[in-house]
Amino acid sequence: MSAYTALTAAGYRAQVRDKATLFFTFAFPLLFLVVFGLIFSGQDVEETGRPYISYIAPGVMSWGVANAAVFGIAFTLMQWRRDDLLRLIRLTPTPLTTVLASRYVLALAVGVVQAAVFIAVAVLPGFGLVLDGRWPLVLPALVLGITAFLAIGVIVGTYANTPEAVAAIANCLMVPMAFLSGSFLPLDMMPSWLRSVSRVLPLRYLNDAATGALTGTGSLTTIGTGCAALLGFALLFGAIGLKTFRWSNRT
Amino acid sequence: MTTDTTQPPDSPAIAAQDVHKRYGDRRAVDGVSLDVRRGEFFGLLGPNGAGKTTLIEIMEGLRQADGGTVTVLGQSPWPRNTALLPRMGVQTQASAFFVRQSAREHLATVAGLYRRDPAAADRTLESVGLTEQRDVLVENLSGGQRQRLAIASALVHEPELIFLDEPTAALDPQARRDLWEVLRALKSQGRTIVYTTHHLDEAEALCDRVAILVGGRIAALDSPHRLVTAAGAPARLLLPVGRLGVEEAAALPGVDRAVLQGGSLVLETATPGKVLQAVDALTGLDGVMTRTATLEDVYLELTGAAHAAAGHIGPQAGPHTQTEHQA
Repeated sequence: MSAYTALTAAGYRAQVRDKATLFFTFAFPLLFLVVFGLIFSGQDVEETGRPYISYIAPGVMSWGVANAAVFGIAFTLMQWRRDDLLRLIRLTPTPLTTVLASRYVLALAVGVVQAAVFIAVAVLPGFGLVLDGRWPLVLPALVLGITAFLAIGVIVGTYANTPEAVAAIANCLMVPMAFLSGSFLPLDMMPSWLRSVSRVLPLRYLNDAATGALTGTGSLTTIGTGCAALLGFALLFGAIGLKTFRWSNRT
Repeated sequence: MTTDTTQPPDSPAIAAQDVHKRYGDRRAVDGVSLDVRRGEFFGLLGPNGAGKTTLIEIMEGLRQADGGTVTVLGQSPWPRNTALLPRMGVQTQASAFFVRQSAREHLATVAGLYRRDPAAADRTLESVGLTEQRDVLVENLSGGQRQRLAIASALVHEPELIFLDEPTAALDPQARRDLWEVLRALKSQGRTIVYTTHHLDEAEALCDRVAILVGGRIAALDSPHRLVTAAGAPARLLLPVGRLGVEEAAALPGVDRAVLQGGSLVLETATPGKVLQAVDALTGLDGVMTRTATLEDVYLELTGAAHAAAGHIGPQAGPHTQTEHQA
C-alpha cells in the first residue's frame, strides 16, 4: 500500500468518525444561510437592486469552505505534532509532500461536498438562489480557494501548539475577514475605502469568483481575476508554510 | 531482513565517536563513544536527565550532534536519511496514534508509510499480543495496550535495528514477561535492539551489553555479568532475626558488615562461601538466604557516586542502604 493511500484512508476515517467536526463543517454554514435568509428574506440590496440571497449564499459558502480548510489542516498539524505523530512520520521514508498531498486531497473533497450541499439547500424555494448557467466555473475558484486557505491553515497549525491557540488564531483571521470580504454583508453596502481594504484579503477573491460563477453578476474577468489572485495567495502562503514547517515541538 | 551489501557483516550496527550535544550551558551528551554490534541487545541505562534520550535521538537522526560522528548501519542518520529510515524501527510515544482509528487501522497506516501491505499490521499485532484488540479504537486502549501498539509501530516493517524507549514501563508483570519473549524472539531473528529502561533486573536478563550513562558520559559499558563481577559488590546473607546477635555475626571471619534490616539479619561479605560455613557451624542454614550483587548495585554505585560528587543532598547513595533485592 502506498503511503499516500494509507494516509488518505486514515484521514477519511478520522473525518467521517468525528461527528462534531462533521457538523461544524457541513451544517454550520447552513445555519448562517438560514439566519441571513430569514433576516433578509425577499429583500433586495438597495445599491444594486439584486436580492440579498445572491450576495449571501455565495459569500457564506466561500467562508464555510475557507474556514473548514483552515481549521481542518491547522488542527491536524497541531495535534499530530503534539502527539508526536509527526515524529513517527518523520522516522518513516514518507516525504512531507506525500503527507501534505493526502491532506490536500481530503480538503478538496470536503470543500467540494460542502459547496454542493450548500448550493443544493440555497436553491430551495425558501431561499430562492437562482443558479446562473456558468455555475461550473465555481469549481476552479473553489479548488484554488481551498488551496490558498489550506496553505494558511498549515501556517496556523505550525505556530499554534494547542487546540485553543488554533481556534483563537484561526477565528481572529477568518471572522473579520468574512465581514471585510463581504461574506456576511454585501460589499456593495460598505464604504468605498473598506472595499479597497478587502482587496488584500484572499476571501474577497473567492467571494467574487463564486458570486460571479453562481449568480452570473459581473464579467468573466471577475472570475478570472479572482482565480488568479487565489493562485497567487496559494503560492505565497504555500511557500511560507513549507519554509516554517516543524516536525516537532521540541527543538 | 535486508542485508547490507556495502558493509562487511561484522561492522557495527551503530558506531558513535565522541558525540557531543549541548543545550545552552548544559552538556546533555558529553563525549560519548560506543559501538553497538550487529545482532546485539544493547541497554542504555542511566538516571533521568543523563542524556539517554538525546543520545538515542541523535542515533535515530532526529537530532544533529554538535560534535563527533554517528554511523548507523554504515550510513549517517543526519540529515533525514530516507535510505536508512526503513531499516530502523523506533518505538513512538504511546500517544502517537492516528486519531479515531482502530489498532489495526493505525498500524496498517504506519505499514503504509513504509510501503508495506496491511497484512504486516496483522502479523505485528499478533506478535505483541493485540490481536483481540485489533478493532478497538486507539483512544479506547488501556495504557499497557497503547504501549504495545507503540512498540508494534517500531516493528511493523521488520527493521534490522530497533530502538525502544522504556518499552516495559507501563506494563503489568505478566505483560512485561510476555514482551521479554517478543524481544528475545526479535534478537533470535538477528535484529539489533537498542533500548532504555529503568528496570535493571530486566536489563540484566535481556541485554548482551549495557552502557550506564551519567551526566552525559559513559560511566560503564560491558556485559551485565562482567560489570557485576568487576564491581566487587558484596554478596549478602539473610538470616532470620534472633538466630545470631548482630555483634556476634559481625565478628565472624569474612563478614564486612552486619545489620538488621526488614526482619532479617543481613551479613555483607566478599566471601559468601566461607561465611555460610561459619553460619552453618553455629546455627545451621535453615531459612538462610543468599543474595548476590546485581546490576542494580553497580548502577546505584555509579549513579550515586556522580550524585555525591555533584554535591547533591539526598539519601545516602550506597547500594546497600537503598536496595532490597529479590534476586
